[in-house]
Amino acid sequence: MIHDYLSLSIVLFCLGILGVISRRNVFTVFMSVELMLNAANLAFIALARLHENMDGHVLALLVMAVAAAEAALALAVVILLHKHTGKVDTNVFSLLKG
Amino acid sequence: MLSQWLFYAFATIAVFSALGLILSRHPMNGAMWFVITLVSLAGLYSLLSASLLFALQLIVYAGAIMSLILFIIMFLNIQPADIPDEKGRWAYLLGGCLAVVPIGLLLLKIVKTLPEGEIDIVGNGFGNVKSVGLVLFRDWLLPFEIVSILLLVALVGAVVLAGKKEMNQ
Repeated sequence: MIHDYLSLSIVLFCLGILGVISRRNVFTVFMSVELMLNAANLAFIALARLHENMDGHVLALLVMAVAAAEAALALAVVILLHKHTGKVDTNVFSLLKG
Repeated sequence: MLSQWLFYAFATIAVFSALGLILSRHPMNGAMWFVITLVSLAGLYSLLSASLLFALQLIVYAGAIMSLILFIIMFLNIQPADIPDEKGRWAYLLGGCLAVVPIGLLLLKIVKTLPEGEIDIVGNGFGNVKSVGLVLFRDWLLPFEIVSILLLVALVGAVVLAGKKEMNQ
């Protein structure tokens, strides 16, 4: 049964990578990153259940805190981007190119 | 047996709503799909007898973080014209699949080499608030404090970034 949980976690992680590399909407990219974090959390908790050891739960908790911090900062950057250009397109960031 | 059926139900819902997230055009629809993914992941956590993480997933992730994202999406008042049109989206998705699927298959192969374990609900306080808190404050005290500093820094950074009056363009 543990293999099924880990396989589900891998599938969700790959869907997250797919969303990051193939979409251009800032919000979709951001939520795909959150999806990858959730897939990692699922793997942590499944392995914690396998070994009956609660360190995985603590790690998942820390990942949640990091995700909250990331959400606050990323959304502030998105607000700045939208104020600056009126778009939510990641291609706008290519104006950093030399 | 029931837990197995529940696992397959939750897993199907999670995968399909994650697909809905990466395929939907408007970010609002994607956020709604993503909330469904998060709730079904909370159900999986409860199947793994992680009761504290189950509650936190619902309260912090599906509650706080997603309402923050939804708030920002509504706050920016995105018109259909503002959304990138992404004409070659399907081609990009196909190319992304070509890049990601081999990695996923390799990871699945690695998973097959792990020891298999039967998963059922365990008793004696596994994963409840008290036992996780004991592990957190005994063995993980330093990472916990570092994460609290990280949250403080992110708070200050968000206020500084989003509170700017005008960009010096």
